[in-house]
Amino acid sequence: MTSFVLYLRKNRTLLITASVLLLLLLLAIQGMETQDWVVTVLRSLSVAAVTFLVASGFSLIFGLLDVLNLAQGTLFMIGAYVAWTVYIRPDTFIDILTPFCFLIAGFTLLPLWDFLASRLTGKKILVRLWPWVGLLLAGFVLLFALRAYPITIWNPGVYSQSPGTYSLFADTGTRLIPPAETFGDGSAVLVLGGILLGSFLLAFSLAGLQNNRNAARVRKSLRLPWAYSVAFLAVFLVGLLVHLFNTPLTTAIVGLGSTWLFFIAILVALLTGVLLGSLIESTLIRPLYSRPIYQLMITLGLSAVGIELVRAIWGRPEFTMPKPEIFNGAGVNCPATTLAGVFQDHCSTILFMDSRIRVYNEIFIPLVGLIVLIGIWLLLQRTRIGMIIRAGVQDREMVEALGINVRRVFTFVFALGVGMATLGGALAGPSMGISTAMGESLLLNALIALAIGGLTSFPGAAVGSLLVGLMQQFIIKYGQIGIQLPFLAEPFKPTPPLVPASTVLLMVIILLVMPRGLLGRKE
Amino acid sequence: METLLEVRDVHTFIGQYHILQGVSLKVRKGGITALLGRNGAGKTTTLKTILGLTPPRQGEVIFADQPIHEMRSFDIAALGIGFVPEQRAIFRDLSVEENLKIAERKRGDLRRKQEMIFSLFPDLQRLIHLPGTHLSGGQQQMLAIARALVADNRLLLIDEPSEGLAPVIIEQLILAIRQLSAETTILLVEQNFIVAGQLAEDYVIIEEGQSVKTGKMAALVKDEQIIHRYLGAA
Amino acid sequence: MNQASISPSKFSSRFKSFFRGNLGGWIVILAMVLLPFITSLISGQSISNLLANESGMAKFVQGLAIEIFILALYALSYDLILGVTGLLSFGHAMFFAVGAYLTGILLKSFGWSLWATLGMVLVAAIIQAILFAVVLPRVQGVTFALVTLGIASVFYIVIQSHEMSAYAGADVGLQGVVAPEFINAADHRMRFYFVTLGLLIGMYLLYKRFVNSPTGRVCIAIRENEKRALMLGYNTFYFKLIALTLASITAALAGCLHALFQPIVSPHTASMGFTIAALLMTLIGGVGTLSGALVGAAIYRLLEYGLKNIFGEQATFLLGVVYVLIVLFLPYGIIGTWKLRALQIRSGWQRLIGLVTGKPKQA
Repeated sequence: MTSFVLYLRKNRTLLITASVLLLLLLLAIQGMETQDWVVTVLRSLSVAAVTFLVASGFSLIFGLLDVLNLAQGTLFMIGAYVAWTVYIRPDTFIDILTPFCFLIAGFTLLPLWDFLASRLTGKKILVRLWPWVGLLLAGFVLLFALRAYPITIWNPGVYSQSPGTYSLFADTGTRLIPPAETFGDGSAVLVLGGILLGSFLLAFSLAGLQNNRNAARVRKSLRLPWAYSVAFLAVFLVGLLVHLFNTPLTTAIVGLGSTWLFFIAILVALLTGVLLGSLIESTLIRPLYSRPIYQLMITLGLSAVGIELVRAIWGRPEFTMPKPEIFNGAGVNCPATTLAGVFQDHCSTILFMDSRIRVYNEIFIPLVGLIVLIGIWLLLQRTRIGMIIRAGVQDREMVEALGINVRRVFTFVFALGVGMATLGGALAGPSMGISTAMGESLLLNALIALAIGGLTSFPGAAVGSLLVGLMQQFIIKYGQIGIQLPFLAEPFKPTPPLVPASTVLLMVIILLVMPRGLLGRKE
Repeated sequence: METLLEVRDVHTFIGQYHILQGVSLKVRKGGITALLGRNGAGKTTTLKTILGLTPPRQGEVIFADQPIHEMRSFDIAALGIGFVPEQRAIFRDLSVEENLKIAERKRGDLRRKQEMIFSLFPDLQRLIHLPGTHLSGGQQQMLAIARALVADNRLLLIDEPSEGLAPVIIEQLILAIRQLSAETTILLVEQNFIVAGQLAEDYVIIEEGQSVKTGKMAALVKDEQIIHRYLGAA
Repeated sequence: MNQASISPSKFSSRFKSFFRGNLGGWIVILAMVLLPFITSLISGQSISNLLANESGMAKFVQGLAIEIFILALYALSYDLILGVTGLLSFGHAMFFAVGAYLTGILLKSFGWSLWATLGMVLVAAIIQAILFAVVLPRVQGVTFALVTLGIASVFYIVIQSHEMSAYAGADVGLQGVVAPEFINAADHRMRFYFVTLGLLIGMYLLYKRFVNSPTGRVCIAIRENEKRALMLGYNTFYFKLIALTLASITAALAGCLHALFQPIVSPHTASMGFTIAALLMTLIGGVGTLSGALVGAAIYRLLEYGLKNIFGEQATFLLGVVYVLIVLFLPYGIIGTWKLRALQIRSGWQRLIGLVTGKPKQA
C-alpha cells in the first residue's frame, strides 16, 4: 500500500499529464459520431505504427550510440523505393542480385584482408598512401564493370518507361516486364571477374585504411573463421547461380503473384536496411565517435545525398504502389462484415461498428507495428544482447570494462534501427504513396513522438507515436466535420497546416511540463 | 616475488589535458596493493588506463608478461581483469541477477560462481530480482564487486569502495575484500586511509599524475610524515 | 579617461598595430570594394558604362557577390548560436525565411514603406527568438534541436499552405516583390552591392566585438560548460536569449535583403535544407570562428554555382557528397584548420622563403 502511494507521489507529473491527455482524448471522442471516431482511432493506429517503426529505431540508436540518426527519414523512403522495385519490377531485382552478391563477396573475407594489410609494412608514406590508391583503383574497376553488367531498368525520363507507368499497369493486374537486357560485346566472365576484383580491392583498401587509423599496429595472425569462408562461398554461389538462371528465375518470381511478391519485397527492404545500417555505421559513423556533433552532421548529409540519389534513379514524380491481392479484393461479399470474411474473400475493406475500415491500412499495418513492438521488447528484455543494449544505454564504458565488445553491438543496433525504418517505408508504400518527400514528414513525426515519449526510452517511442497519430488524425477528422466551440456560430474547422502545428504544440507543452518527455529517465 | 601487473612510465591525456605524467607501479601476485593520493591526483585515470578505457599515449602496461597498452579495452578485460568502478556504477535498469549475468564471459559462469558470491554477500541472494535502482548504497557496492567476481578474473581493480558508505557497511566490505584477496590479486584505490591501511600490503602514492612513492603498507602506517605530506590528514 | 590620455604617437602606433593585426581583413575588404571595377576592367567594360548599370560580366559578378554576402550574413548568425554559444538549432532557416517573407508580403500586399517594413522585421525577429527560447530554461541539447526543428517545420508547412497562398504564393513562392526605387537591385546594382557589403562588414565587426565582450565570453563559457557558467552565478538563459536574438535579427536582415534582391522568395528558404546549408557553410569555414562563416558562404555559393554549371541537376548530390567528405576529413573547417596549423604553415612558408633567398631563417 505504501509503495503504491510512493509510486503515485514519485510519478505525480506523469500521472497528471497522462490523465489530462486521456481526458482530451475522451472529449475528442465525445464530439464525434461512433463511426467517425472508430475510423479515426484506427487511422491513428496506422500512422502511429509507421511512425513507431522509424522512431523506435531512432531511439535505440540514440540511446546506445548517442548518434542522432537524422537520415532515418531518408532511409524510410529508400525502404519504400526498394520495396516498390521488388514488387513491381522483380526482373530488375533479380538482375541486381548478381552484381550485388559479387560486390559484397569481398567483404565476407575481411579477416583475410585485415591480416594481409597488417603485413604490408614499409615506408610510412607508402603505408599511408596505398589504401587510397587501392580505393581509387577499385572505384575505376567497379565503375566499368558494374556499368557493363546488363540490368533491365526503367527510365524516369520517358513516360512509357517511367516507374509511375509500371505502377499503373500493375494496378490493373498486368505486370509489365520489359524485354531483358543482355550483354553487349563485353564477355560475361570478364565483367563478373571485374566486379569481384573491384570488390576485393575495395575491401582490402578499406581494411588498410582501418589499420592505419588504429594508432597501434599490431602484428596479426591469420585467423579466418570457417563462418567467413562459408559466407564467401554462399554469397559467391548465389550470385553465380542467379546469373546463370536469370531468365527462369525472373519468370518464376513474376509468376508468384502479387501477395508473395509483396512479402518478399518487405523482406528485401528490411534486409537492405540492415545492410545499409551496418555499412553506414562501420564506415561513416565509427570514425567519428570522438566527435559527436559531426556524426549528426554526417547523418544530415547522408539524408540529403540519399534523397538526391533516389531522385536520380527513380525520378522526381511520385507514384503509387498498388496493394497486393490479399488486401485488395472487391468481390460480391465485400466489404466483409467479419474477420473470417476478410480471410475468405480478401476484401479490401471491412465493416466494423458502422464504419468502413481498410484492411491493409488500418488493420495490417498496426498489426505489424504491434508485432515489431513485442519482438523488440522481447529482444531487449529476454536476450543477452538486449541486456547489453540496456546496460550500454546507461554506461557504455562499464560494459566494455566487463570484456564485451560494445562496438559490435553498436553495429547491430544501428543495423536494426535502420532496418526498422526501411521496413516501415516498405509497409507505408501502398498506403502513403511513394515520393521523395515521404521521409521528411515522417522524420518530423518520429522526432516529435520521441521528444514526447522520451528520447532514449523504447516504450516512450511507442507512446509518443501513438499520441502523435491520435493528435493528427483527430485534427484531420475535425477539419472535415468541424468542432462546435462556444461563442462561435460556425463550427471551427482546423485547416491542414494545423495538423503538424498541433503536434508541435503538444510536444512543446509536454516538454515544458516534463523536459525529458513522458517516459524519459531523470538524471 | 612474482609481478602480475606492471605499469611503466605511463602518460595519459584526456582531451588536451595531460592527466598522467609518468606513473609506474608494480602489483605483486596475490594480496592487495593500494593506490593512494589526493583528490584529482590521477588514481581513477590510472585504473582506466590499465583497462584501456583511457588508453595511454606513452609508456607500457604489462599484465601477466603480456603488453596490453595497445589492446582494446574489452580484450584487456577478457584477459581476466575485473573492474569495480567508483560511485558504485551498477546498471540501474537491470535487475541484480541481470547485473551479474551480463558479466559472464562463458555460459554458466554465474551458476558456477553464485555460491561463492552469495556466501560473500548474502544480501544479494535475497534481492536477486530487484532492479538496481531499488538497492541501497551498500548493496549497490556489493553488487558492483560481485559483478567483477562472476568471470574468472586474475586481477580486480577496485575504485573507492568505501566512498559515501556508513561505517558498519564499510566493516562488512573490508571483510569481504580481505576474503577475496586470498584468491585474487587486488589493486585498490582508496581515499580512506584507515580502510586502505587495514587491507593492503603494498602501496603506491600518486601525486599530480606521477607515482612518487611505493613501499610496504606496514612501514607507511607508522610514517606520519609521509602520510601528512602526500595524503593530507591521516 | 584612460583613452583620452593616450598620446597621439602612441595612438598612431596602436592604430598601426591594429591595422597590421587585421591586414588580411583589410585586404579582403579592399578587394571586395574594388571587385566591380576590376571585373569590369577584365571584361573590357568602361567604368562609366559600369556606373550606368549596364548589364555585363561586372553586373553578373556583383549579383553573385551579393548572394554570397547575404548567405554570409545568414551563416554568420548561425555560427553565433552554434559555434559561439553552443546551441544546436535545426530551425535556423525560419529566422531567415521570416525576414524574407515578411519583407515581401509587407511591401507587396500591404504597400508599407521600406523603413516601416524593416522595423516590423526587427520586431518579428525578436519575437521569434523569444519563441525559440521559451523552452530553453527546461530543455537542452538534442531536445532543443528537436523543438526548433518542430517549430520551423510548422512555419514551413504554413508558408506553403493553400490558405496563405494569396500572400505567400504557396509552394511556388512569393513573387513580384518590387523593391523601392532607390535600392532596386535591377537598376542600382552597385548601390545594392555596397549596401549589402557595408551591412556584412558592420555585422561582422559587431559580432567580433560581441564575442570579445563580457556577454560574449559568457556565451562561450556556456558552450564549454553550461553547469560551470550556472555555478558562477550567470543566468545562462538570458545570455542564450541575447545570442538567439542577435542571430535572429541578423538572419532576418539577410532574409530581408534576399527578398529585395531575388525575384522570388522560394519556400525552400524555410526548409530543413536551408538550415543544412547554414550548417554546411559554418562547417566549411570552421565552427565558432566567425570569419569561417564568411569563407564558408563564399565557397558554398561558388561551389554550388560551379557544380550546377558543370553537372546540372546532379549538383545537389555532389554538394552533399562534398559535405560528407568535409565532415569526415576536414572537421575544423578551413579557417579552423588554418588557425590550428598556423604555426606550422608559417614556419613551412618561411622555410620555403629561406630556400628561395638562400637565407635560412631560424625558428
